Amino acid sequence: MTATTATPRAVEGLSATRRPAFARVLASEWTKLVSLRSPWWTAAVTVVVGGVITFLSAQASSGDPGFEPVDSLSSGLMLAQLGPLVLGVLVGAGEFRTGAFRSTYTTVPRRWPVLVAQSLAVAGFALGTAVLTTVASVVGILPAAASRDLPVDLTAGDAPALVLGMVLFLVGLALLGHALGALLRRTVPALVTALILVMILPIALLMASDPLVAGGDPASLAAPDPAAAPTVVGTLNVLLPGTAGGLLTTSASSGPMDGSPDLGPVGGGLVLAAWIVVLLAAAAVRLRTRDVR
Amino acid sequence: MIEVEALSKRYGSTTAVDGLTFTARPGTVTGFLGPNGAGKSTTMRVVVGLERATSGRATVDGRRFADLPAPLHAVGVMLDARSVHPGRTAYAHLLAMARTHGIGKARVREVLAQTGLESAARRRAGTFSLGMGQRLGIAGALLGDPATLILDEPVNGLDPDGVLWVRRLVRELAAEGRTVLLSSHLMHELALCADRVVIIGRGRLLADAPVQEIVDRTGSGSLEEAYLQLTTDAVEYRTDAASGGAR
Amino acid sequence: MRGAPARRGVTAGRVLSAESTKLVSVPAHVWLALGTVVVAAVTAYGLGLFVRPGDARSGSWVVTSGFVLAQVGFLVLGAVVGSGEHTTGTARATFTAVPRRLPVLGAQTVVVAAAALVTAAAGLGASWVATAGVRAGGGPAVDLAVPGTARALAGFVLASVAVALLGLGLGALLRRPADAIVGGIVLAVVGDHLLAANPGPVTDTVRALLPSAGARLLQDDAALAALDDATRGPQLGTGGGGLVVAVWVVVVLAAAAYRLGRHDVR
Repeated sequence: MTATTATPRAVEGLSATRRPAFARVLASEWTKLVSLRSPWWTAAVTVVVGGVITFLSAQASSGDPGFEPVDSLSSGLMLAQLGPLVLGVLVGAGEFRTGAFRSTYTTVPRRWPVLVAQSLAVAGFALGTAVLTTVASVVGILPAAASRDLPVDLTAGDAPALVLGMVLFLVGLALLGHALGALLRRTVPALVTALILVMILPIALLMASDPLVAGGDPASLAAPDPAAAPTVVGTLNVLLPGTAGGLLTTSASSGPMDGSPDLGPVGGGLVLAAWIVVLLAAAAVRLRTRDVR
Repeated sequence: MIEVEALSKRYGSTTAVDGLTFTARPGTVTGFLGPNGAGKSTTMRVVVGLERATSGRATVDGRRFADLPAPLHAVGVMLDARSVHPGRTAYAHLLAMARTHGIGKARVREVLAQTGLESAARRRAGTFSLGMGQRLGIAGALLGDPATLILDEPVNGLDPDGVLWVRRLVRELAAEGRTVLLSSHLMHELALCADRVVIIGRGRLLADAPVQEIVDRTGSGSLEEAYLQLTTDAVEYRTDAASGGAR
Repeated sequence: MRGAPARRGVTAGRVLSAESTKLVSVPAHVWLALGTVVVAAVTAYGLGLFVRPGDARSGSWVVTSGFVLAQVGFLVLGAVVGSGEHTTGTARATFTAVPRRLPVLGAQTVVVAAAALVTAAAGLGASWVATAGVRAGGGPAVDLAVPGTARALAGFVLASVAVALLGLGLGALLRRPADAIVGGIVLAVVGDHLLAANPGPVTDTVRALLPSAGARLLQDDAALAALDDATRGPQLGTGGGGLVVAVWVVVVLAAAAYRLGRHDVR
């Protein structure tokens, strides 16, 4: 049905002997993304989880003496970050899993513009999701702030940088997932790699630095010496994409994590960006040099 | 013998099969026809118990499919060539099916030979072409030496050699007294191998008669013409060209 | 049926035999199991490098510490077996051969448990070898006289089997591997660590009721006592963690069985 109506138009386009312009490739990738159901579900779950966890976390800490509502703002992202990550993996690997690439790469034989366009489409979709998740997080801290009569001012101090960092963090994770998906081409391996890099390795490294995580309760730990020099474990941890990206959601004045070099939000963001660029470049190389089946 | 009685299947508000009744008898090849979306595959899936009927019933040899003690020996089923894990070899796929009924390895090798897949038996099914996948599906249907066969589009993707082979195979199976229910869109092929045809449209029965009777009754020269005439009002998806020609 | 020598038809034993053929005939399953063994040993070795004398880690902790990463392998194995039927279309062949369906899920539970058992035992052995140097060179030794040590070593295997079965149940219930893996990771690993950031009576209670409580099977008596002292939620004691994860496995598999029995197979 679609084929019969689309064919005459495609023929017109070809008669002008123009290659598909990048804008058209981008428009096509965007259409492919938003015409699937899973991105919308993932986005909805991300926004809801972000808002609800932030609300619960702010409610739980609102009794603390030094409660500062804005400090709870990014607490929902600890779980909500999974959404953009999974979204990126599904889009990146989905092209190959479903066989959609056969039509994609016969339409755009040079291939790599597709990868870039797809990446931009994912970034755009994730941006919308990230903004809504951040809004939901702001809404989530309002009841706790109101219960203590504390003002929520997003224009003062570190708050604007924090809000921007939250959005960039979520978009970055979507791009990381997309790059892994496009590189590994299969949903399950890409998803497992992404989850291990972002969620599990930080926990494993925490076990290396902290004897009580596995056998004890982190809450009972004495606060480590904040002036401690960077350790091997701490350095490895902060170079992981998820941990580095997570620095975007901390304020510049909060100092380094225990045992980690002080990258700050910008440095953390750059580490995450480096991961994305390297993985996407590897995916582009694989796309150029290997056959598409 | 397959008996379908007043069978209906609804998904939410859409009705896929609507009060369908027909019988596929032993010793005959029953062709099952209808436009895309007419409910052929749904009917077959209900018959073999993958989907539950909303109302009505479907039985094989007088029993519900789920009540058959040895389904592979009673009914051979090929619904979709892509019913195999792409990482599994053809041999392992058939062996796993065979083991559910205690069927031996010798029989697995036999059906692989019968379907011309001996040389591909150790290859992963994910590397198969459409036609090879189709042969593997038929091999699975033959595995239990069943008295009834249900084949959905068995010649889809087969080379001319394979088409001829399927035609002979189903004729032989029917000659041995088995029941064969076979769906296809290839009218010439069905005219050659089916004794009877059941034609449905929009989930309802349009015709159920021997091939020649349908051709004669509609006053058309061939099964294809008769089919197009019978299904004029029951086509869900039609291209401009086809509808222009029909009007 | 009447004790005839050549009994025709489906029996539980035959379905079990078919499912074991299906499990081992997919190379990805075998690679996944081997990878899980390697990951367990390499992780235990790596974490062992950071063990210092006198930092309260026990010998059994050193040997079983690879679980943190290895559990992902067990979860994925279960999830791909459980959802693979539906994503690959094998379900059509499987459930026309065994139209009563539930014996298939039962057989899958047995074969996944057996595969996880063998894989976990191999992983434990490999971890033992990998950490031998650490334990001999000043690190804590495995001393079966330390209360709970033998249980902690066996707990590695039990917790691995439980995570694999949780993955199987989620895969069969959700029918898509991505959903099952993400859900399983959140339930069995990540959720616990997120809640640990906000300790309190409510979060500690939720933590105690998540399947991640199964990781308590890996702790010796002293570590369990420390956990129970620190929590503001229910104290699970020696067997509580295992019980919690067992209940999760049963509930999720029961939900999968309900869906399989009642709903259409595509």
